[in-house]
Amino acid sequence: MTSVLVTHADEPLGRRIVKRLFHDERIATIFAIGDGPPPHAFDRFLGEPEPRMLYTRVDLARHRPMADLFHSARFRAAEIDTVIHLPRHGAAAAPTAQRIPGLTEQTAETRLVLQHCLETPGIENVIGVGSAFVYRLPPGNANRLDEHSELDLEPDVLPEIRAWIDCDMIFHGEIHNDRIRVVLLRVPTIVTSGGYIYLNPLLSRASGLCIRSMGFDPICALISDKDVARAVQTAIHTPCSGIYNIAGNEALPLSRLSQWTGRTALPVPGPVLSWLSRGARLLGVGTTSLDAPYRRYGFTLDTRRAERDLDFRPSVRIGLARAGDGSLRLETASL
Amino acid sequence: MREGWIAPLRDAGAPGRALDEPAAQALGRDPFEAEPAGDPLAARLDALEGGAPSAAAGWQRLAPLAPRRRPAQLRPGRPCVPTLGEIELPEPRTWIERWLGDSDRRVMAAFNHLVEGEGPYDRFGFSPDVMQTAFPFFRALYRGYFRAKSDGHEHIPANGPAILAANHGGLLPFDAAMTVVDVALHTDPPRLVRSVVDRWAGSLPWVNVFFARMGQVIGTRENCAELLEQGQLLLVFPEGLEGIRKNLSQRYRLQPFHVGFVEHALRRQAPIVPTAIVGGDDQAPILYDAKSIARWLGVPVLPVTPTFPWLGPLGLLPYPVRYRIRYGEPLDYHLRFGAEGADDARLVHYLAKQARGSIQKLLDRSRP
Repeated sequence: MTSVLVTHADEPLGRRIVKRLFHDERIATIFAIGDGPPPHAFDRFLGEPEPRMLYTRVDLARHRPMADLFHSARFRAAEIDTVIHLPRHGAAAAPTAQRIPGLTEQTAETRLVLQHCLETPGIENVIGVGSAFVYRLPPGNANRLDEHSELDLEPDVLPEIRAWIDCDMIFHGEIHNDRIRVVLLRVPTIVTSGGYIYLNPLLSRASGLCIRSMGFDPICALISDKDVARAVQTAIHTPCSGIYNIAGNEALPLSRLSQWTGRTALPVPGPVLSWLSRGARLLGVGTTSLDAPYRRYGFTLDTRRAERDLDFRPSVRIGLARAGDGSLRLETASL
Repeated sequence: MREGWIAPLRDAGAPGRALDEPAAQALGRDPFEAEPAGDPLAARLDALEGGAPSAAAGWQRLAPLAPRRRPAQLRPGRPCVPTLGEIELPEPRTWIERWLGDSDRRVMAAFNHLVEGEGPYDRFGFSPDVMQTAFPFFRALYRGYFRAKSDGHEHIPANGPAILAANHGGLLPFDAAMTVVDVALHTDPPRLVRSVVDRWAGSLPWVNVFFARMGQVIGTRENCAELLEQGQLLLVFPEGLEGIRKNLSQRYRLQPFHVGFVEHALRRQAPIVPTAIVGGDDQAPILYDAKSIARWLGVPVLPVTPTFPWLGPLGLLPYPVRYRIRYGEPLDYHLRFGAEGADDARLVHYLAKQARGSIQKLLDRSRP
């Protein structure tokens, strides 16, 4: 039996993973931690006579609360041996949602979580969820990328992607650790039930406008949150370590993806984006390039390694459903 | 808990259709039609998460998916194309459909089955809808403008991975386009040729999107490996950009080959079909290549032809030369040397040289 700690369990992806693990009989205890109060989705799990699940609020970016957590009696009693770290994954696709501030906190959290995992003797497995946008994108509407593809280490990369790369490299540094097993799952754009989109740097803003380079319409690989949860569950029980790309069967161009998530993809000529970037740099407003490769080039992920080692194959289909207001939205359904 | 049904991305949202188009119209049938018994793809949605705006508004039923024929011998996710005889055609509705005729319309209908899964695009961005829209134009070029003739189709494998290795010529890749049309029209079930294009094309606005929607892929090692593993038919031009830089005196003389295609063929157990394309080098004969200016402008070639740059961009259009495409006997190197042969660099170079010789011979025989 395994006892699991799930970070950011109050965020949509965390909720999905906790739900999945709760129905896994091989999981003895789930210790969920998050920034906010426990989501209503956990009421049933927390209200059981002998709850298998605990929930606590912890600021993962600060050392003291993290140390207190890992040295607490509750944590010791839970006998946690597996930690699932879900880095902050940006704001929801809903226009009303606020963007989560502090992207650098994501890096600090990952570092602290990994540090405490290494210092806590009982923890044997660490599973992280990362983004596939960390890869350097070669020219092309869609290119196949595998786990050995180069990371985008350009200095003017978007801060959100830079934070993902930092987290990725922190995990990468412990992949060959003898004491703990580290698994990093790199996922593309996540689609959840209700048409929410996560982990796409172009669609993570609260605004309904998505700027893309004119003449380019990059292909976005998609995966359902349920498939991500299933991959995490498989990674818990499979004795393997390393980096794995996981992705669903569906892929959509950015224009259509933004259209079906209620956004507008505004094509702007590449030179205009370059001039705007230069102007912003001169004014000291921003340092990132607006004409970055991810606005022009797409990717598709090579998931053969995950198929071979984790036996992962997507089982959830991403399609369209019509809401009561008449609009077509992305939706997920099990095959 | 609310109930809802989801429609495949491709049926409900084909390109060019409005977002707010009624579901029945988008799906081409009654959305409240009875669900076919045992349809595995008409899965009920999970209980929707509370707070989702669309969920709060309630869901209507969209039509369930029609299961696609998928033979057991193919791995899940691999596209499966029906034979032309299996395709049922509706009555032609537009003058283009009447002009195309039944046999070509069947080929176009078969394109719908070229995408794995249920999405409107495959993972490399290929769109059957764009292909169907563009096909009549390229078919008109094939039949009317270039008056293409071809033979040796029996050498193209009916299924499984294969590599068409051809000579390259002409400034614009009409040789690839004509080969795609030729293979689609002369194979049953129709095979989609995935042409391998240079990385430079991937950075060109609009061109990169058009190429991807038409099934072309950037020539990276990973892309080629994946397509061959899917059992697809690749068209490679091993001369690379040197092929289109050839001047008048070198036309139909093959330039040194890149050898990656042999390595892929060995590793993925794919036969190489030597292909000779006559017409490409005549469609825009290069009198002079201004290499230094081209380098300065960041373009691979800056040609001087009888019409370019004198007529401006119009001068790049191909001349109405006759195309002749000939497919040679497959070179089954993989049967002789196996996958481990790909690790032997000398062998790979030797086999590439052999393949070059085969294509050159075929080319010499094909020229009038």
